[in-house]
Amino acid sequence: MNQALLVAKNLSRRKLRTLLMLVAIFIAFFLYGALECFDHAFHASETAAAADRLVTVNRINFTMPLPINYADRVRQVAGVKDVTYQSWFGGYYQDPKVPLFMFAVEPASYLAVYPAIQMAPEQRKAWLSNHTALAVGKKTAAQYNWKVGDRIPIKSNIYSRKDGAAAWEFDIAAIFSDPDETARENLVLMRFDNFNEAVTFGRDQVNMLVFSTSSNKLNDSVAKAVDALFANSEAETTTDTAAAFNRAFAAQLGNIALIVTLVVATAFAAILMIVGNTLVMSVRERTREIGVLKTLGFRGSTILSQILAESLLLAILGALLGLLVAAGAVAVVGRNIAGFGDTMRMTSGIFVGGLGWAVLLGLVTGAIPAWSAMRLQIAVALGRK
Amino acid sequence: MADPFSFQLRHVSKRFVKGKETITIFDGLDLDIPAGDFVAIMGPSGSGKTTLLNLLGGIDHVTSGEILFDGRRVDTLSENQLSAWRAANVGFIFQFYNLMPVLTAAQNVELPLLLTKLGRKERRTNVATALELVGLSDRASHYPREMSGGQQQRVAIARAIVSDPQVLLCDEPTGDLDRTTADEVLGILQLLNREHGKTIVVVTHDPEVARYTKRTLHLNKGVFVERTALA
Amino acid sequence: MSTLVSQVTAIAAMNIKSIPQRLWMSLSTVVAIALVVAVLLAFLAMGNGFRQAQASAGAADIAILLRDGAQTEINSAVTREQADLVEEGPGIAREDGRALVSAELYVIVDGVSRSSHLRANLPLRGLPLAGVDLRHNVRIASGRMFRPGTAEIVVGRSVTREFEGFDLGKTLRLGQSVWTIVGVFEDGGTVRESELWGDVGVVQSVFKRQNFFQTIRVRLQSAASLPALKAYVDNDPRLKLVVETEAEYFAEQAKQSGDLIQKLGWPLAIIMAIGALAGALNTMYSSVASRSTEIATLRAIGFGRIPTFAGTLAEALALAALGGVVGVIAATLLFQGYTASTLSANFTQVVFTFKVTPALCVSALVLALVVGVIGGIFPALRAARQPIVGMLGEQ
Repeated sequence: MNQALLVAKNLSRRKLRTLLMLVAIFIAFFLYGALECFDHAFHASETAAAADRLVTVNRINFTMPLPINYADRVRQVAGVKDVTYQSWFGGYYQDPKVPLFMFAVEPASYLAVYPAIQMAPEQRKAWLSNHTALAVGKKTAAQYNWKVGDRIPIKSNIYSRKDGAAAWEFDIAAIFSDPDETARENLVLMRFDNFNEAVTFGRDQVNMLVFSTSSNKLNDSVAKAVDALFANSEAETTTDTAAAFNRAFAAQLGNIALIVTLVVATAFAAILMIVGNTLVMSVRERTREIGVLKTLGFRGSTILSQILAESLLLAILGALLGLLVAAGAVAVVGRNIAGFGDTMRMTSGIFVGGLGWAVLLGLVTGAIPAWSAMRLQIAVALGRK
Repeated sequence: MADPFSFQLRHVSKRFVKGKETITIFDGLDLDIPAGDFVAIMGPSGSGKTTLLNLLGGIDHVTSGEILFDGRRVDTLSENQLSAWRAANVGFIFQFYNLMPVLTAAQNVELPLLLTKLGRKERRTNVATALELVGLSDRASHYPREMSGGQQQRVAIARAIVSDPQVLLCDEPTGDLDRTTADEVLGILQLLNREHGKTIVVVTHDPEVARYTKRTLHLNKGVFVERTALA
Repeated sequence: MSTLVSQVTAIAAMNIKSIPQRLWMSLSTVVAIALVVAVLLAFLAMGNGFRQAQASAGAADIAILLRDGAQTEINSAVTREQADLVEEGPGIAREDGRALVSAELYVIVDGVSRSSHLRANLPLRGLPLAGVDLRHNVRIASGRMFRPGTAEIVVGRSVTREFEGFDLGKTLRLGQSVWTIVGVFEDGGTVRESELWGDVGVVQSVFKRQNFFQTIRVRLQSAASLPALKAYVDNDPRLKLVVETEAEYFAEQAKQSGDLIQKLGWPLAIIMAIGALAGALNTMYSSVASRSTEIATLRAIGFGRIPTFAGTLAEALALAALGGVVGVIAATLLFQGYTASTLSANFTQVVFTFKVTPALCVSALVLALVVGVIGGIFPALRAARQPIVGMLGEQ
C-alpha cells in the first residue's frame, strides 16, 4: 500500500456518492467538449481558408451580381495570381427544403485557385470538356450515393430554364476530395457556361470572384487596388480575405461563441458547487481519522496533498470520461450532418484545454476541505464525534 | 547514552479560555516518567487525565512550563517537527480504536511505516511481526467491520508499535471492552513493557489496570497523588 | 397522528425545517437546478421571440404570391405581365375601382451591426405606397413616409437600433445612388421592423431590375376569398405562382427557424438536468443519512413507512421547486426583452427580442420538478426501508 492507495480508498468510501460526483463532472465536461467542438467547427471556415485567397463581392451585398467581365479586369491587377468566379445556384435534389451547396463555376480557373482539390485525371478531363458535367465533392456524393456516370436531375429554387424544363439534368463527371479544406467536399459544381446559356435572367453575371495573390503580404494592397478599379462604376466591389468574409458571415448567425461560453460556464458553476460541497462534507466525516493520521505523524501538508489528490483524481477521471464520450458523439454527428466535414471533431486543443479545466476544478473544489483538514487541531479532531 | 527519563514535565500549566471564563487544568505541574515505566493515570472526569496525555504526545500545547523528552525540550518544537518526533517516538492507542474502515488490518498497521523510508518488502515484514506479536496474523486481510472490539484494539496496538517507538500513550484502551478482552489487551501492553522495554502511560477508569502497571498516579484537580503498585 | 395525511404533513414539515442543518449541500442543489432552468428558459425565450417576430407579422386577409418552388421572397421571381394578370383576379379588394395589389422587390444590402461591427445582410424592399397600406399595423414613429419616385427610404425601428448608419436624416450610398432616410416606422416588433422600404420603381431602376418583381401582395375581400384567387392562378399556365395568406407564409417561416432553436435548447437542458440530478441525489442521500437516528426514532414512535417516504420526497420537491422558481426569475430578469438578431430563411437579419411567457416558465418548472421527483424517490425509498434497530442513538 502507499499514499496513492489511501487516496483511492477514500474515494471508494461511499461509492454511490463518488459515482454521483463523477456523473456531475462527466456531464459538465461532455457539454464542454461537445459545445466547444461545435463552436470550433462553426468557425473552422474562418481559419481553414487559405491565407492568400481573396474574395470580391458587390459592395451593396454579396447577393448582388457582378458583371462577368470583372474577372478579366481583376486578372490584370498587379499581384493577382489566379482568378475564378462562381454563382450560387440554389439547387436541391428531390427535397426543396434541403439545399445543395451548389455553385456554377468555370472549371479550369476554379481548379487553379483551389489547387488542393484532388480529382482523377480522366474525371477532370470529362468535367472540363462535357457541357452538362457535374463535379461533386465526395461527402455529398456519399450522402446521396452518387457515382461517376450517373445522370442526376437537380432543381433550382432561384433560376428557371429558358426551355421551361423544371429540372436541370447533369452527368456526374468527377468526384473530388480536398484534404486541405474538407468542408469543400460538400460542394456540387456545375459548369458556368451550362448555367449561363440556360437561365432566363441573370445572364453574364456572377456572385463573387475568388482569386489568389502572389504573396500574403500583398493582400491588403491588392484588395484596395481591386476595389479602386471598380469604384464609381455601376457595380462597386468590396474585397476581403476569404477568412474575413467567412467570419463576417458566421457572425450573422449569432454570437455562437458567446452562447457556448455562457452555457459551459453555467455547467461548470453548477458542478463546482455540487462537488465542492460534497467534498467538504466527505472530509468532515473523516475528522477523527484525520486526527489519528496526525497523531501517527502525518504532517498537515501531507494531509492537504492527500485531499487535493482526491479532488484532482475525481475531476480528471470525470473529465476524461466526458471528453471521450463527447469526442465520440461529435464524430457521429459530424459524419451524419452534411456541411461540417472533418471540422466537426475533437481537437487536441479542446481535449487538453478540458483537462486543464479539470485540474483547476479539482484544485478549487478541494481547496477548502484540504485547507481545513491541514489546519485541524489533533485534540479537536479526536474529541469531535 | 539514553536518558534515564522518557518524560519530564517542569512547572507545566495548562489554561484555556471558554467564553468569558479562564479554565485552569494544570498549574505548575511536575512529573517524571522514567524510561521503561508502565504508569496508570487515574482520576475523576475533568481531572485533566486526557489533557496530560495529549500534552505528553505533543497533541496539545502547554500554556507555560517545559516538557522534556529524553532530556530535550519538545514543547518548543514546530508542528512539522512534532509530527516527525511523534512518528519516530510515540505510539497512540485510543478507546475507540480509530482504525481506518477502508483499510484492512495489515494496511492499517502499515500506515505509520509510510512515513519512513522503508521499502515495500521491509514494511510488509514489520507489519507481519507486529500482527504476530498481538496474535492476529490470520486477520491481516480483514476489514475492521469484520472484527470484534478486542481484535480491533489489538490491531490498533500493532499499528502503534510497528515503527518501534519508545513510548506508548493509551487513552482508556479498555474502556469499550469486556473483562476478558480487556485483560488480554492489558497483557499485551505488559509484555511490550517487560520484554521490549517500552515506556507506557495509560489513562484509565478501569481499576483492574493497576494490577498490570508498575505504578498508579491519581490526578485530582490537576494535582498528583502517587500510590505504589502492589507486587 | 391518525390520518395518513397528517402524518405526511408532519414529517414533510420536519424534513423541510431541517434543511438549514444541511444548508450548503441543499443550496448547491437549488443553484444547480436554478441554472438548468435558466438556461432552458433562455433558449425557449430565444426561439419564441424569433418565431413571434415572424409569425405575428402575417395578416389573414392579405395574400402573398411567390414563384412556384421558391420557398422565400428572396428566391422568388415575378414579371410585370404576371403582376398585371393577377390584378384581374377574383377575390381581390378594390378601392375606387383599383385593385389593392402591391408588386414588390426584395433585395439585400449591407449594414454594419452595432454589436459585432461586422457586415450584416439587411432587406431593402421596393414597394408602392399601396403596399404600405397592406401592412395594417405599420405606423411612422418619426419622420415621414418616402415619396414615390424619389430616392427616399424609411427604415424599421429595429434597423435603426441594431445597425449603424441608419438614423433619421442620414444618407445611404448604394451603387451609384444616394438615398436619404426620411422616416422610421414601427410594426409591433415584428420582422418588418428589420426592413428598409423604398419606392419600387426607384429600387428597380437602381438595381437594374426593371419590370421584375419578387412577390405580389394582395388585399383579399375577406379571408374566405383565398380559394377563388388560388383557383384563378392555378388555372392560368402563365401564372406559375404559389398563393397563400401572409399569415400562412410567415407561420411557415417562423416554424422552421423557431423549431431549430428549441431543438437545441431542450436536449441541452436535459443533459444539464442529469448533472443537476446527480447533485440532487447526493444531497438527498446525505440528508437521509444524517437524519437516520431521527428517522428511526419516528418509526419507533409509530410513524409508518409511507409518511417517511413522502417526507423525504417532499424535501426533494421543495428544493427543486425553489431552484425552479429562482431559475425562472433569474432568466426573466436577465433575458426578457433582450434584443438579438440572426439570419432568417430569406438570408437577411431578423431582429427579435427574447420572449418569456408563462407557458414557457411552466415547462421549465416541470423540468425542475422532474429532477426533484427522480432525485427524491430513491433516497425516500431508502429512508422508508431503513431498519429501526441499530439506528437509535448511535452514530
